[in-house]
Amino acid sequence: MHLTTRTAALAVSAIAPLIVSAPAPAPAPAPAPTPVSVHRGAQPAGSYTYRGTVQAVNALTGSFDLIIGVGMSLRLVHISTSPTTLLAASGASLRLAGLKPGDVVRADCRNTPTGLVASRIERVEVPRP
Amino acid sequence: MRPGDAIRGLTRDERTAFARGKAVFDSAFTPHTGLGPLFNADGCGECHEAPAAGGHGDEVEVHATAFRGGVCDPLIQEGGPVIQQHTTPALKQALGIDQEPFPPSATARAMRTSPAIFGRGLLDLVPDSAILAYADLEDRNHDGVRGRPNRFVDGRIGRFGRKAFVPRLREFNAGAFVAEMGITNPDQPTEETIGGKPIPAGVDSTADPEIDREALDRADDFVRFLAAPTPAKLGKDGRRGRDLFSQIGCATCHIPTLRTGDSPVPALHRREFAAYTDLLLHDMGPDLADICLGRAAPADFRTEPLLDLRDAEHFLHDGRAATPEQAIELHGGEAAGARDRFKALTPAERAALITFLKSL
Repeated sequence: MHLTTRTAALAVSAIAPLIVSAPAPAPAPAPAPTPVSVHRGAQPAGSYTYRGTVQAVNALTGSFDLIIGVGMSLRLVHISTSPTTLLAASGASLRLAGLKPGDVVRADCRNTPTGLVASRIERVEVPRP
Repeated sequence: MRPGDAIRGLTRDERTAFARGKAVFDSAFTPHTGLGPLFNADGCGECHEAPAAGGHGDEVEVHATAFRGGVCDPLIQEGGPVIQQHTTPALKQALGIDQEPFPPSATARAMRTSPAIFGRGLLDLVPDSAILAYADLEDRNHDGVRGRPNRFVDGRIGRFGRKAFVPRLREFNAGAFVAEMGITNPDQPTEETIGGKPIPAGVDSTADPEIDREALDRADDFVRFLAAPTPAKLGKDGRRGRDLFSQIGCATCHIPTLRTGDSPVPALHRREFAAYTDLLLHDMGPDLADICLGRAAPADFRTEPLLDLRDAEHFLHDGRAATPEQAIELHGGEAAGARDRFKALTPAERAALITFLKSL
């Protein structure tokens, strides 16, 4: 039910984009990848930084799915690795197969014609009481 | 404190933030200002409205997830667990739909009422250690109650939502802007998909994020600073009911008083408050079971905080109970013992307990 006393609609003007890069194409059928936890510094066009929770790892294809988002609004992004992708955990190097569902990672990615490719992945330690 | 009041002890700046946040909370969005293309409501205040902004609502929304082999799938690839019930005219024109399609992989549907959100800033600050202290996974005290925390996808302890899936109030608020209204924001700058499919071109021309950080911060301030209404003064019957509430075991889960941890806001810092929750999940029995979420199985629900119960017009997570008595009688699972003890009370004792509940 609407409140009759509700204030007039909030005038929301165009907001400065959160990132400077162009939107990534949608890797059908998944939603268009868009960073949620982005690095605030200037990023090259087509670059994204995600922080999220690993949902699945496919070591054979060298890719993984990352859950990002807040509250009840979650998104899934598919990220591939390349031979030059750096993986690290607590300063030590890591293999992709060493990532497990539930791990929290920060992934620096660039958009390519085949989708997102990570240049660096860092497993983040999250206190879990 | 009356419903809708700010917590006591705020600074002048914080009171100003509360007032400014209320303006955002009360705003009605349009497609031009970011609404949709999928949405449940056109503003926070459409659902959280009675008896004041932040209060109860009469809307019932639809959630869905899949529970297979003991694992919960929030169906992110099919549009997520919130199934929006409205579309903007542009989306309807493009796809011919009036609501988000129900996810084909779902194994359960849940109905969810809009709760009053008073006192949520206090619940946000209850330390994890305090929540865990009430947990009793092994039922070591043999009372039949086994509270356990839910956890978000990243492992953090959840507090918010009927399944306690969301850890922090800020996250719940930012997510609700998108999941409930289709308003993208700096914390969630991407729109909901249409059952997992991208939004058709030209349907949503408003640039993302559709509200800026200041607007999100203001709305968050308003919710964070909403006071838990002061319980009404109890007479003899109410005091008797309060005693019975503890004696028959209601207070085992509906912990009367919680204490916040550290906060930069003095009015929220290490405050005791009437909460009537343990923020834990409890198995409520098969009759109430609906969806899973996080580590909450279909029958698991977070103990509902009994705040502003006096203004509630329907009860339980889906509003199926018309009175507090019905709600108690529908408790099952871990709450069956307390329910049975309630049913065994004399009519006068039951009336006293209800008098107490209606004072909250």
